[in-house]
Amino acid sequence: MRTLFAAGMLATGILAAQPGAAEDLTLEFVVWNYSLETIQDNVKKFEEANPGIKVKVTDYTWPDYQDSLVLRFRGNTPTDVIYGGQDWLPAWGAAGFIAPLDSVSPAGAVDELKKDIAGFALTDVTYKDKVYGLPYYADTISFIYNKKILADAGIAVPTTWEEVTAAAEKLKAGGMEHPIVYEYNQELPNFYDAFVAQAYGRGAELFDKDLNPLFADPNNEAFKQLQWLADAYAKGLVQSETHESKIIPAMNTGAHAFTIVYTYVLAALNNAADQPRAGEFALAPMPGSTHATLGFAKSYVVTAQAAADPARADAAWKFVDFMAGQPYTVAKRWAVEKGLGFAQLPLFQDKDVIDAWGKWADVKSLGDQAAIAKAGTYTEYSSVWSAYFRPLLAKAMVGEASVEQTMKDGADRWNQLKEQFANR
Amino acid sequence: MWSLKRFPALWLLPALLPVALMTIYPVAYALWTSLHSVMLLFPGEPFVGLDNYKRVVSSNYFQDALRNSLVFTLLAAPLVVVIGTLIALFLQRRFFGSQVVRSIVLLPWVLPGAISAVLWIWVFHPSFGVLNGLLRDLHLIDGSIPWLTSPRYALVSVVVAHVWTQIPFAVVLLMAALSGINSETLEAAAIDCRSALKRFRYIVFPEIKAMIVVLVVYNALTAFTSYDLVYAMTGGGPGTATTLLSFQIWRESFSMYDFGSGSAVAFIVVAISAVLIVAITRALPSDLFAEE
Repeated sequence: MRTLFAAGMLATGILAAQPGAAEDLTLEFVVWNYSLETIQDNVKKFEEANPGIKVKVTDYTWPDYQDSLVLRFRGNTPTDVIYGGQDWLPAWGAAGFIAPLDSVSPAGAVDELKKDIAGFALTDVTYKDKVYGLPYYADTISFIYNKKILADAGIAVPTTWEEVTAAAEKLKAGGMEHPIVYEYNQELPNFYDAFVAQAYGRGAELFDKDLNPLFADPNNEAFKQLQWLADAYAKGLVQSETHESKIIPAMNTGAHAFTIVYTYVLAALNNAADQPRAGEFALAPMPGSTHATLGFAKSYVVTAQAAADPARADAAWKFVDFMAGQPYTVAKRWAVEKGLGFAQLPLFQDKDVIDAWGKWADVKSLGDQAAIAKAGTYTEYSSVWSAYFRPLLAKAMVGEASVEQTMKDGADRWNQLKEQFANR
Repeated sequence: MWSLKRFPALWLLPALLPVALMTIYPVAYALWTSLHSVMLLFPGEPFVGLDNYKRVVSSNYFQDALRNSLVFTLLAAPLVVVIGTLIALFLQRRFFGSQVVRSIVLLPWVLPGAISAVLWIWVFHPSFGVLNGLLRDLHLIDGSIPWLTSPRYALVSVVVAHVWTQIPFAVVLLMAALSGINSETLEAAAIDCRSALKRFRYIVFPEIKAMIVVLVVYNALTAFTSYDLVYAMTGGGPGTATTLLSFQIWRESFSMYDFGSGSAVAFIVVAISAVLIVAITRALPSDLFAEE
């Protein structure tokens, strides 16, 4: 009996002497489910490098992500680190759901990392002069075309939207039913982003420095671009797809010549392993007078819940720093393996990245595009406004509403929200 | 002396408490929310009376969504019941492979709404969809029809998908009702009347009428509150072509961050559903709800 007691005490002592097992802290990490296996593998590497911290990954689909997160915040569901989007970040910051990174990081750490982040991406992760996230990936929206189709038809790569129309009409006359394939899903933020990217190509400013909307003016380039889209639909030049994942096979049927999507889609389009027309696709500067486009960053963000608990805050910072901080191993992995863009500028000089990207894109064109990319205008109420405006855009494109009324309604709603927010 | 009859309320309490907790509390909270301004972006939750209801009802979206929901319901509910009845009558017959056919007919029942949506997206896809391919093979069309992205076709397309998912349940219930009819009555009817249509009208229909009323009510409510399938297929678009009221609850709450307005739409849906139930049961009188 005495032996049994002694053995029990010894076992208890051993357990108590192993803080790694007894005091593991588990971070709740919430993501959308893009390439979940890679996420899990990155998490595993973090756990190996940080004994005592475990990370539980919860994933949602991209269309369900935003509302699932809002539900988690509203329901106080334990959530420590999340994927953040540039369009939600100010609203979540204003609502007190997320915390500035300098509240969880050692002094000066965020400022040091900021120096390496591309301008548009830094804008996207900043709210009220505080950095709320480090980039998970950063990308631009690109105008992509099929080189072979254009070469066979003797069409030069279009440089303006009017040239896109002319090229599409020529292809249609030659038997291509819908030369343009377009991601048309009013519930996705991409839908508005793609429109902004096109308008930026024309040199549009959608808002002035005081955040007054400018796009309802018929002379504004955004107004003209919506008119262009409505005309293209009316002429039967466009085929809608509900998601980029369907644009990839659609472009690979050879039945379409142009599309406007996130740049990383080009990597999937040119993936020889599973796409029959891999190698035929290239990006061209966004049509228009300035060729600018929209650049954006998705980021790792720490919640206010985590920041309020010193132990969790410390672990959350370690995790964010591992995923997005120097030496940028994880960001590089996403770039090399998946073709995801990045905001960490030193990676543009990385040989592995250059070699990997060279397989599916002209790296110089990518760099040129990133250099002139512009951040979107994001405020506390912009995601609410965008949710209101996207269905209006969708209606105008397919001719169910006039461009003039759509832009007027959009501007009115923006002003209403702006005033409401100012008086809150 | 202990008796179950002495304290009926007490005995029911263990069952009633969880029901109250899981049903009454959320409904009461939603009602409270609908009467307050509950917006994530703005601090405080002040009482606003019926303002949320007024704002929601006067919006363009609401009128589009209400019209779409009513059209969706008016098309889907009768279609499910009529097609379900025809299939149930067919499956009542015994023929070679009837068990296999019955299993196949029930297949859509086991598929979650999101999976059914993916399946139907592939059917309706303009480039490589089955339907356009079939129509092209039959030389009925030259190009492709944008089933899900044209305002003209999108609502009809999602109605077709919705009806497909709901038919199995109707078939099961109607087959149960049909099997309850006295076989001698059916045999006598077969001898007395050669017209199958008349036999259905005067013998079979009165016997299954109560079940049909149940199914019409059930399907009207299912269609009126349909969400997942339509959301996954079209996201409510193009524009507002397939935006339903149930979708508007989600949109107001999670896209607009306005839980007060979202709850107001939810209560409007409840009120309209109640009106629908009364209207259907009055239009299709049966002894289903008659007092003994």
